[in-house]
Amino acid sequence: MSTILQELETKIAGLKTATTKSNTGIVREVGDGVAKIEGLSDVMLNEMIEFPNGEYGLALNLEESEVGCILLGDTASVSEGDEVKTTGRLLQVPVGKALLGRVVNTLGEPIDGKGPVKNEVSYPIEKIAPGIIKRRSVSQPVQTGIMAVDAMIPIGRGQRELIIGDRATGKTTIAIDTIISQARLNKVGEESGAKDFRPLYCIYVGIGQKNSNIARSIAILEAAGAMKYTTIVSAPASDSATNQYLAPFAGAAMGEWFMDHGMDALIVYDDLSKHAVAYRQVSLVLKRPSGREAYPGDVFYLHSRLLERSARVNEQAGGGSLTALPIVETQAGDVSAYIPTNVISITDGQIYLETDLFYQGIRPAISVGLSVSRVGSAAQIKAIKQVAGKVKLDLAQFRELAAFAQFGSDLDAKTKAQLDRGGRIVELFKQPQYSPIPVEQQVAVLWAMQNGYLDEVPTDRVKEYQNKLQDYLGTRKEGVLAKIREKKQVDKEVEEELKAAVNDFKTTFR
Amino acid sequence: MKLNKDSRKLSRQLFQSSFADGKLDNTRIAAVVESILSAKPRHYLAILKDYHRLIRLEVEKRHAIIESAAALSAETSRAVENDLKSKYGGDLTTDFRVNADLIGGLRIKIGNDVWDGSVRNRLARLSEEINHV
Repeated sequence: MSTILQELETKIAGLKTATTKSNTGIVREVGDGVAKIEGLSDVMLNEMIEFPNGEYGLALNLEESEVGCILLGDTASVSEGDEVKTTGRLLQVPVGKALLGRVVNTLGEPIDGKGPVKNEVSYPIEKIAPGIIKRRSVSQPVQTGIMAVDAMIPIGRGQRELIIGDRATGKTTIAIDTIISQARLNKVGEESGAKDFRPLYCIYVGIGQKNSNIARSIAILEAAGAMKYTTIVSAPASDSATNQYLAPFAGAAMGEWFMDHGMDALIVYDDLSKHAVAYRQVSLVLKRPSGREAYPGDVFYLHSRLLERSARVNEQAGGGSLTALPIVETQAGDVSAYIPTNVISITDGQIYLETDLFYQGIRPAISVGLSVSRVGSAAQIKAIKQVAGKVKLDLAQFRELAAFAQFGSDLDAKTKAQLDRGGRIVELFKQPQYSPIPVEQQVAVLWAMQNGYLDEVPTDRVKEYQNKLQDYLGTRKEGVLAKIREKKQVDKEVEEELKAAVNDFKTTFR
Repeated sequence: MKLNKDSRKLSRQLFQSSFADGKLDNTRIAAVVESILSAKPRHYLAILKDYHRLIRLEVEKRHAIIESAAALSAETSRAVENDLKSKYGGDLTTDFRVNADLIGGLRIKIGNDVWDGSVRNRLARLSEEINHV
């Protein structure tokens, strides 16, 4: 008992209760989630301001005698005349592995009813991106499991790849598919116990989404067993504009923790057009000067500083990476609007989804001509490079010829062959949602296509052929798939085995 | 009342002209108010309100509010006042107030800065730290 008393006394003795000095101000105006505060002469930009009743705000506008502050919690409890004080702290969110499998709000508070987050570390939400000395080039792939992406628009660890398209064209689906694919790979990697295996943890930031949409995404991830490796940061449409504006920065801080600790992470910002709208609202209420489409002048910097935080750092800095998949929604396919052009210019490529393709049944509705990955084949394994090197060109030529061929029926043999090949590639790249394909399966299927095995299959049966071939290889020829997985290339031995396996399968396919 | 850019600029100029030897000068302030009221420029009421706000903020910088749980003795008050004047200059004005909520100790506010040595603040900090422990 005496030990307990002694411990308690030591603890109490260690507590500091001396006179404190604080810088204070008085709330003069409050409304629309923003407070104007008189005083606070020592406040810093982005510093947290403490309001009575334990609420906090963030100082965004430092004027001569007033401070414009956005409110983070319940705005109803703040009223005119309240005394507020500076805290000397920046806004921080919990980070670490304790957040995996959790759904949190912008401030990192759990909203999934699974109890408190047991984190030990917090990171400030605004952080300067890694500099050029710390960075290294992107060379490791992020296997999305979407054949069209992995073959034609590869994404590397540390890359920023924009997913852009009109409403309901499957933007979120691509992101969710990628998360599911990572979860599967993580599971296989952990089970294999390979030493050089690097799991990829995922963070999904929902900004201005409908609560029902976020709930659906969570349900899909849970059903696929992907929540174990995923954190969801939710700032739905019902949240304040402040929370929506800060959510991607909170998510980036959570992702940076993995990068700083030598791990790999993937972050999805769904979506940055709504984020820009939330920031526009905050800026207009703060009476900042507005520019094009009423967005504030620093809306480019808003996104560039966010996306610059995604990087692949060198061995001295831990060797981790943070890959970003920002999503932008266009209006009537207009990629030349303000926010889309901004984000296109910041990112290392884009996956452009077209409504027309979507309604033609080509899903994912990726437009090959407008989609690009500036990292290119550096982010592909050798096997994919070997089998998919010419696919993008073939497909682009097919689209051109298909448009031209509509005007006449007489085609020479070469053009007809190209059209047939293109049609089959299009069929091959159709893929149902939430069912990512492992990379070795992709290699096998693309190898079969490149070597003319699909030329004898009618176009409308290509999908059936592909599915059956995948089943056949997965159940009867697991060895050749394992070899592709291990060697990461199609060498003579693998090629021979693939040839034998596909010829075998050909006899059974009717 | 919303103040436009020109009116704000004018009130600021008037405020700057109200100083003599780096301190607010009552005669100048009276003269400024008089001239505004007689000339009645456009938005003169808003200008005067903003001018008043600027003067108020400046006065607050040179004014100390000393709160205590019980009334301080004349001797203690004088000692506190002298201490503050030696630190902030002789033109500092003081205002002693009684606030039973403090439980004990002193709370001094000068401009935007607050030194809180009250028992209430110490208890609040203690409870905060215990919660963290």
